[in-house]
Amino acid sequence: MDLQYKTIHPVKYLQDHLEQGIRPDGRKFLSFRPVSVNVSSIVQADSSAIFKLGDTSAVCGIKAELATPKADIPDHGYIVPNVELSPLCSPKFRPGPPSEQAQVLSKLIDIVLSNSRALDLKDLCICKNKLVWVLYCDILCLNYNGSVIDACIGAMIAALKTLTLPEINYNSETGVIVTHPENRKAFTVRTLPVSASFAIFEKQLLLVDPSDDEEDMSSTRFSIVMDDEEEICYIHKPGGIPISQNLLCKGLEMTKVRAKSIRSVINAAISTLNVNNIETNSPK
Amino acid sequence: MVEEDTEIDCVLRPMNCEINLLSRSDGSTMFMQGDTTIVAGINGPMEVKSQKMAYDKLSIEVTYTPLTGPAKVDDRLIETYIRESCESAILVSLHPNTMICINLQEVQDSGGLLACAINASCLALINSGLSMKFTIAAVSCMIEKETGKIIMDPDNTQLKNAKAEFTYAFDSINKDIVCCHSVGRFSQSEFLASVDKCKQVSQFIFDFYREITKKYANTV
Repeated sequence: MDLQYKTIHPVKYLQDHLEQGIRPDGRKFLSFRPVSVNVSSIVQADSSAIFKLGDTSAVCGIKAELATPKADIPDHGYIVPNVELSPLCSPKFRPGPPSEQAQVLSKLIDIVLSNSRALDLKDLCICKNKLVWVLYCDILCLNYNGSVIDACIGAMIAALKTLTLPEINYNSETGVIVTHPENRKAFTVRTLPVSASFAIFEKQLLLVDPSDDEEDMSSTRFSIVMDDEEEICYIHKPGGIPISQNLLCKGLEMTKVRAKSIRSVINAAISTLNVNNIETNSPK
Repeated sequence: MVEEDTEIDCVLRPMNCEINLLSRSDGSTMFMQGDTTIVAGINGPMEVKSQKMAYDKLSIEVTYTPLTGPAKVDDRLIETYIRESCESAILVSLHPNTMICINLQEVQDSGGLLACAINASCLALINSGLSMKFTIAAVSCMIEKETGKIIMDPDNTQLKNAKAEFTYAFDSINKDIVCCHSVGRFSQSEFLASVDKCKQVSQFIFDFYREITKKYANTV
């Protein structure tokens, strides 16, 4: 009965729940979904991570390649985030070239990375003017159930945090490149930006971490990204109904708490990886 | 009070606007904020392909064309901002099963491009005569790196010393935040201070809209 009601009157279904002070998935208005992170799941990539936010899950793989730098910034490497929203993750998407939403997501992640100063692109320089690293961060959404930007940023940051790059010897005169794949150096990530999404309904009702249905029926949405020092890296509100400043402040406070817990989950996932490495290396 | 007002007035770059410059559009405007210039044209409400049709509301398509080359991924973000902001302002349920096209052409960018694009599309919407709930005014500001001072409506040379740059759009009724975009890293207090200041300044843009509209509409 519940399912039919939801299909026929989706808006009323949600409204009835909200009037009772509960959300269709049983959460309270201000409770987030549980997070789980798994790092280094893909062996072929230089580093990878899977980030799950309730049902929403995203996987990020990072591939490092060598390239020549741009002439105007000779000592900077590049980082190329790319989000793919395939038809697998939601019936909203069709196969073919990246949808507008996927392009916007890629751009948002690019903005977050450059705003947060989590990475110093100079770290990616091997030889000025000649050789730099390019990091291709491919993020694939596996299951699209709202707050995808949070999952994408989480997956990417967890993957970047575990990234190691092989040592490169470059002879600038002869141009010979020698790679030492066994000597891998960890890549420094200075801070962990964490994103939190919010949806606003009529009468300025604030829901945190909205699911896909809630996002679709909401009047507006916004996302806040915060780093380790509780500095704001990005506030993204593309439009929708006007909201008061107080509501944004409430969002900021919630993000602070949320960022701390997500950061501890990511760090815990990375520390289990280190333990495993010691265990596997010790018998040798 | 009067003194304070004039002081704030000086910080916005001079605005200039030409309306109805495209004869084939239903509403058009060329909007200049300092040297940043955008031409906006609106077509519609008109027929829509079944793919994009929404049975209960007007669908909005935004096409932003940069000065050089074809539209890139960066421009998709501007299009999203404009589409979602305009959707909140227009009474979309008045024209179900139809669409409007908002076409924007960048003419010159010397800072505050997003704010200028939102203002240009709002002026074009007013010019096209579509019913709106409210008008929207976008203001950009930046925080200077060394002094931490808030500078309103910065141009490209000022932006070189920016620690953070913000673009806000406000509605004309309660002056609440319709859209918000930020560049750089900043603290919560800096954010709140910049919202306050932009909110005050947005009134000048609303006044400017009124002044422009008065030229052709005799009932305002």
